[in-house]
Amino acid sequence: MKRWLHVACDAILPPLVLLVLVAAVWQWAVVRWDVRPIVLPGPGLVLEALYRRAGDLLRSVIFSGTAAMLGFFISLVAGTLIAFVFSQSRWLRTSGYPYALFLQTVPIVAIAPLIVHWCGRGWHSIVMTAGILSLFPFIANGTAGLLGVDPDLLDLFRIHNASRWQVLWKLRLPSAVPAICSGAKTSCGLAVVGSIVGEYFVGYGSKSFGLGYMILFAVDQLRMAELFAAVLASTALTVIMFGVVSLATTAILTRWYDAPEAQGDP
Amino acid sequence: MTRKSDVRGRRSEVSGQKSKNIERAQSLLSDLRPLLVLALGTLLALGCNGTDPLSLPHDPRLADAPLNIDEPPHVWLDLNWFPEAEHGGYYAALVHGYFMEEGLKVEIVPGGPKAPVVAQVSANPWHFGVDNADKLLLGRAQKADVLAVFAPIQDSPRCILVHADAGIDTFDDLARQTDFTLAINPGQPFAQFLTKKLSLSGLRMVPYPGNISQFVLEKNFAQQAYSFSEPFVAKQQGVTTKSLMVSDLGFNPYTSALLVNEALAKEQPEVVRKMVRASRRGWQKYLADPGPTNGYIHEQNPEMPLDVLQFGVEALKPLCLPHDLPESTLGQMTPERWETLAAQMVESGSLAADSVDVIRAFSLEFLVEKPGGKVGPP
Repeated sequence: MKRWLHVACDAILPPLVLLVLVAAVWQWAVVRWDVRPIVLPGPGLVLEALYRRAGDLLRSVIFSGTAAMLGFFISLVAGTLIAFVFSQSRWLRTSGYPYALFLQTVPIVAIAPLIVHWCGRGWHSIVMTAGILSLFPFIANGTAGLLGVDPDLLDLFRIHNASRWQVLWKLRLPSAVPAICSGAKTSCGLAVVGSIVGEYFVGYGSKSFGLGYMILFAVDQLRMAELFAAVLASTALTVIMFGVVSLATTAILTRWYDAPEAQGDP
Repeated sequence: MTRKSDVRGRRSEVSGQKSKNIERAQSLLSDLRPLLVLALGTLLALGCNGTDPLSLPHDPRLADAPLNIDEPPHVWLDLNWFPEAEHGGYYAALVHGYFMEEGLKVEIVPGGPKAPVVAQVSANPWHFGVDNADKLLLGRAQKADVLAVFAPIQDSPRCILVHADAGIDTFDDLARQTDFTLAINPGQPFAQFLTKKLSLSGLRMVPYPGNISQFVLEKNFAQQAYSFSEPFVAKQQGVTTKSLMVSDLGFNPYTSALLVNEALAKEQPEVVRKMVRASRRGWQKYLADPGPTNGYIHEQNPEMPLDVLQFGVEALKPLCLPHDLPESTLGQMTPERWETLAAQMVESGSLAADSVDVIRAFSLEFLVEKPGGKVGPP
């Protein structure tokens, strides 16, 4: 109980104080220079928009969040599998890695229309966009983790005539888990971005829509306060996803690995 | 049975715990102290300066205006899209020197998707803007201090573009389609009007892609368009189209209206009057002789071919001067049109009721020439 209080004071109080400060300066600036809501709405208007559209925002957060989570898991599995392949053959690694790098550098606005063209419009294309955007950290961290094994342990396995599969499953994978966990934290934010931006191109059903739709709608209607509210909701979604992934990785690492500090940097 | 040593031990444990807590609290406070000092200091400073808005008799943003007539004032004209035929008259005024003749140095700034014209004009008094009447009303609901003073395109060219051989002749036909995609930006006032008026739930709505490439490839595809633009671009690519005019359903906002900041209109009415006069001459010239202007527009926007621009002008004529209105009335506005538009937007949910006083959204005073063509005080 006391530990949670400490966590609260250390981690939550300072950002809250900063938030209140920023909001106060923002409100003062808007009043002092008579800034119109169409240019920059004050914090009061943003809060009012958050309250008024709370239902729609919550629904859209769930829509985008589900797509992002699914994309994240798909890229976790796919990225780890690709990392397995890369770790087994040097030739495969050197020939395939630049194409994996392409996934990191390609702008989403270029790739999303292609995905829509090939896979059609619908929720599955949003999941695909989220998956593609969040794939690279898993490939990079996974490969580094699978290859960065203690050479003495490798020798030990060789002495005992372990097969390639046994080395992979019993040695490489367990030592790669911290690196993959670290990659997961980077990927979850990218998955949210992918699911929101994917919606710009993929479209939406008339009944269900995500944060991308909320953002586009607010801009078309010139309702800047609602735009801010949608952006805040997107931030909240990213923070929640990051928190969930962090908790999961900490749980995995503290249970099965030596120290809580075994977060693993590639 | 508890022994004294136990109790003493426990007491010292408890007091040890207490002093540890005090230490922790003290260290937390000392960590937070700089932040708290900053917070208190900021709040004090804000409190001391007061929270009244600047209430000077004259807008200080206009303070750096050149007041001598030797130096022509530099104004900007922000467009709501890439340079196209819908901006033709303004470009004509630039190309044929009408702005210069009035003593104005005008710089036309091209826009694009989601160009924030109303916000720009609201934030910068020396900026004029070109945007549609419905956008202006949305902006005024957000307290934008912007007015419309000139409306060259009387009838809205907004349409839904369908393939000619899709068998869709009316909006009701469109609403009845199955397995059909409609590319339309959902927050646009005309889109909200359409969804209110028709039941479009059977259609797959996707965002407007900004070009006709998807439309050309798919037969079961319709998209928002301007009647003097996309049909001709599609024709060039071998696709015959049909335009379903939104104005046929009654939604007819003024298009490509000239927008001006309220402060500029109040303090420099001469500048606004000159701008309107030059714009009117520019539009009259563009409808009569668009060649040089279209050449210039094509230079500014190479993706818009010259022949499409030429078709565009021909299609624009009946929209600018419907029912053969005389050229001298080009740009006129009526309060009835504005009130109808506001009522439609309230009904379709684009505007909250009573959020906009529509009479204050436009001004007719700059459309009227003073007797003798001289500009003088009213």
